[in-house]
Amino acid sequence: MSEVPPNQDVVGDQPIALEDVVDRDALDDLCKSIHALFGIGVRVYASQGALLANVANELELCRYVNEVPGSRAACGATVIAAKSVAPGDDGEVTHPCFTGLAYHIVSLVHEGRRVGRIVLGPYAPAGLREPPPSLAQADKRLDVARASDLAATVPRVKQEALQRIAGHLKETLELIIFSSHKAWVTSKLHLYSVRESYRELQDKTTRLEQTLTRLKEVDRLKSNFLATMSHELRTPLTSIIGYSEMLAEGIAGELSAEQQEYVRTIHAKGEQLLRLIMGLLDLSKLESGTMSLRQAPAQIGPILKEVITTLAPVARKKEVELALDSDDAPCELAADAERLRQVFINLVDNAVKFTPKGGKVTVRARVTAGAAPSGDDDDEAAGAALLAPLLKQVEVRVSDTGIGIPAAERVKVFEAFYQVDSSSTREYGGTGLGLSIVKRIVDAHGGQVSVEGNEPNGTVFVVVLPSAQTRRAALPSRVPPALA
Amino acid sequence: MQLNFAAREVAIKLVYYGPALSGKTTNLKALHELTRTDSRGRLMTLETKDDRTLFFDMLPLVFKAETEGGAMNLRVKVFTVPGQVVHASTRRLVLQGADAVAFIADSQVAETENNAASFLDLRTNLKELGRSMRDVPLVIQFNKRDLPNVRSDAEIDDLARRGKEPVFKASAVHGQGVMESFFGLLERAWRKLDAEHDLTRKLGIQPDEFLAKAASSLGYEGKARMLCDAHVGGSGKGGA
Repeated sequence: MSEVPPNQDVVGDQPIALEDVVDRDALDDLCKSIHALFGIGVRVYASQGALLANVANELELCRYVNEVPGSRAACGATVIAAKSVAPGDDGEVTHPCFTGLAYHIVSLVHEGRRVGRIVLGPYAPAGLREPPPSLAQADKRLDVARASDLAATVPRVKQEALQRIAGHLKETLELIIFSSHKAWVTSKLHLYSVRESYRELQDKTTRLEQTLTRLKEVDRLKSNFLATMSHELRTPLTSIIGYSEMLAEGIAGELSAEQQEYVRTIHAKGEQLLRLIMGLLDLSKLESGTMSLRQAPAQIGPILKEVITTLAPVARKKEVELALDSDDAPCELAADAERLRQVFINLVDNAVKFTPKGGKVTVRARVTAGAAPSGDDDDEAAGAALLAPLLKQVEVRVSDTGIGIPAAERVKVFEAFYQVDSSSTREYGGTGLGLSIVKRIVDAHGGQVSVEGNEPNGTVFVVVLPSAQTRRAALPSRVPPALA
Repeated sequence: MQLNFAAREVAIKLVYYGPALSGKTTNLKALHELTRTDSRGRLMTLETKDDRTLFFDMLPLVFKAETEGGAMNLRVKVFTVPGQVVHASTRRLVLQGADAVAFIADSQVAETENNAASFLDLRTNLKELGRSMRDVPLVIQFNKRDLPNVRSDAEIDDLARRGKEPVFKASAVHGQGVMESFFGLLERAWRKLDAEHDLTRKLGIQPDEFLAKAASSLGYEGKARMLCDAHVGGSGKGGA
């Protein structure tokens, strides 16, 4: 009772249109074969009156009748009536022609509905002796004797024979209608199913897209929040550090040894807190992509030397040997030197921190032949023989003889805030941010960082940075930034 | 339902739902076998090679009923849905516009989960179509009673008492319980439509009278009540 859904024509109860489900040429062929077999004209009409097939030879009687205006009109009226006369409850009716001939009409039924009709004729009923008075009445110019002679030449057909022919044709046609309708339903439903599945997929895609957008927004908010908070935390902290430093230096008057110790503790902890906040700030900048890398031609040698110089005092104080072993081979990197320095300061500082007194920290740098840029797919691996000479990379290994990192933990150390020993009583301080910052910076340079064990004890951090040329070679096969 | 008041024609759509291989098509084939030739149309089955329903089966039943208001044409189209999980969208298409649903469950104990999953699928699909279980009359048929490893009659009686839908027991391959389930479904569908559209007044026919006429047209003269009541459970009416 509600509005008809679009597919109701298939799974509902809409009447079919004969012209939709039956092939006209095939129907014509069928009617021709019936006509050839019995010599009776066959016409098939759809329920709305459209003529779908018409196979008949004009009888001489009909031709003669049509030559005279009055009887031509009567003939026309008969044909129209045969097309529209109600076939009664049985679905079968014989309609007489004014010439004494007749038409037999059978309705075509599909799913209990009349969808069209077969009209057989004109034929001469078996009992026809002479034309009825209606023939003479049609037009007085008509030569009744001649018409009567012509009527005598029309083959007589017994009523039961005619009904058998009609019944057979009806059954055949209804079977064709059923089969065609079935095929039509199948194809329609197939179409609707595909459309329905497509709609479902589209719904899902839309929902996923919305979720993705929301998640991106949440992620951006989180990064913004971190950046803002870090900044807001840093401002008062700077005052705490500044004033405690002034106090320690006696600017506000001499301090007792105990006071001095307290103030220095405040100052040291303040510095520690500041480093943590700075680390957070870096991380959020890296995450939100707002940290800009100023990439310029750079060599690894000078950067490492500077790092060693910076950390030598720390190592000496801890009585840890710190050595640089560089092959000094030239290899141009496209890098932000300041950020790379941060990477190695972090790594070397860590190494020293986790190495006990008397241990050794080595920084070893080598220029090696680079692997073809991530050769996973054929496109990128192509032409390796041509590109290989250009593909160089710098490998820096920072090894220590410290406590080491269990193999299972090695992947996780690069996650933010992760610490191998996260117990509150842990021996070594630190924010847990250093390595995740290292990883992000190395990633941003197109490089890789990994951890290996250092036998018999200790850890090796391996940083691999592709040369500027390697990165350029890898670039074209990547997705263009505009599309990414 | 489609009600063509001018032609005094009512078209009802009944859908047989249920898990794969629970015997929906078998029910329809049996229904076709068991009804009078002049009241049934050709059974349309859209099957694949391996006898699994690809799209649906459809059996049209068409008959006339003389009422106080004159002759009335009744057209009942019985559809089955494809049971296999992958044909979800087709199931929803076929379910569209259903006036009542017969849920054909497999009595085998091992099929319990599949029955439940298919029922939840029915509920989801109705919801997708903006309808709910509440406004679609439902009967449940436990089919394949002839097989071993099925739930016992006592178990089914107990299950039926816990729900509010009438539960029919059937063995569709042997034609048992098929007419009962059909008439149970037709009754519930008609009573619901009568309540919504006041068919008693508009068409001049009482539900019981309607069922009696339907039964006699389909070859079950005087047996409507008996067929409809051959169930367990279901709003406290009748018993097996």
